[in-house]
Amino acid sequence: MSPLVLMLILVSLATFVAGQLLLKRAMDSTVRRGFRQRTFAFFILTGTGAMAVSYFLNLGLLQQLDLSYLYPFQGLTLIFISAAAALLLREKLTPPLIVGSLLITVGVVLVSLS
Amino acid sequence: MRMNSEPPPDSAVVDRRYRGLRSPWLQVAISTLSVAIAELFMKRGADATAHVAEEWGWTGLTTLASPLVWVGMLFTFISFITWLYAIKHLPLSVAFPASQAVHVLVPISSWLVLGELISPLRWCGIALVLAGLALVARPVAQLEEKL
Repeated sequence: MSPLVLMLILVSLATFVAGQLLLKRAMDSTVRRGFRQRTFAFFILTGTGAMAVSYFLNLGLLQQLDLSYLYPFQGLTLIFISAAAALLLREKLTPPLIVGSLLITVGVVLVSLS
Repeated sequence: MRMNSEPPPDSAVVDRRYRGLRSPWLQVAISTLSVAIAELFMKRGADATAHVAEEWGWTGLTTLASPLVWVGMLFTFISFITWLYAIKHLPLSVAFPASQAVHVLVPISSWLVLGELISPLRWCGIALVLAGLALVARPVAQLEEKL
């Protein structure tokens, strides 16, 4: 794997995780205050922007690599999302959630290996 | 960036107003299914445009020349809207693992529809993902039973 491809995969992963967190913040802000307010506008725009960057990088990577090659990296997103949700959004990770998420991650990597 | 903490949203999962189409779990399922369909269209479209303007290929923008990619983007849009609804009502650390069911949907639909074989190792992976999904959804199922 060339350094450029590895870097693109990592940037695609990081923008995806950041995008999910920003979108979650955007939607949380609508629970009490509806959609017509600045917090929602800010987080939905930055979140959608980050997701768009990740989306097109992923498409570009698909042109050069097999889907099966990108799959294991997609499995890793779950770990990053859960850790970030716990640290930055202060979501509570219960033991069943942690074990379940780890099982899913290992499962996704196994599916991609075969 | 302002990250001031909002009060946690009311748990929609146990609220009777969120039955039927309004169930965030149904929306996670629709979102996940749309992602699987979009992936198939996008892979076909990306293959078809792999040799158009190679120096710009890494951006992914050249794939827009394929109509298949636009169909894929339509399904991506559906998955996006349903996903926003889902994460409004579910914690990200619950909704996101649930969305990983997509990695089971693709091989199983290839097996059922296209008759592709699934290796023993891949079956093990599918079983692990399903076990993980059951664990992730369990606390929510217990909450619903109490009502």
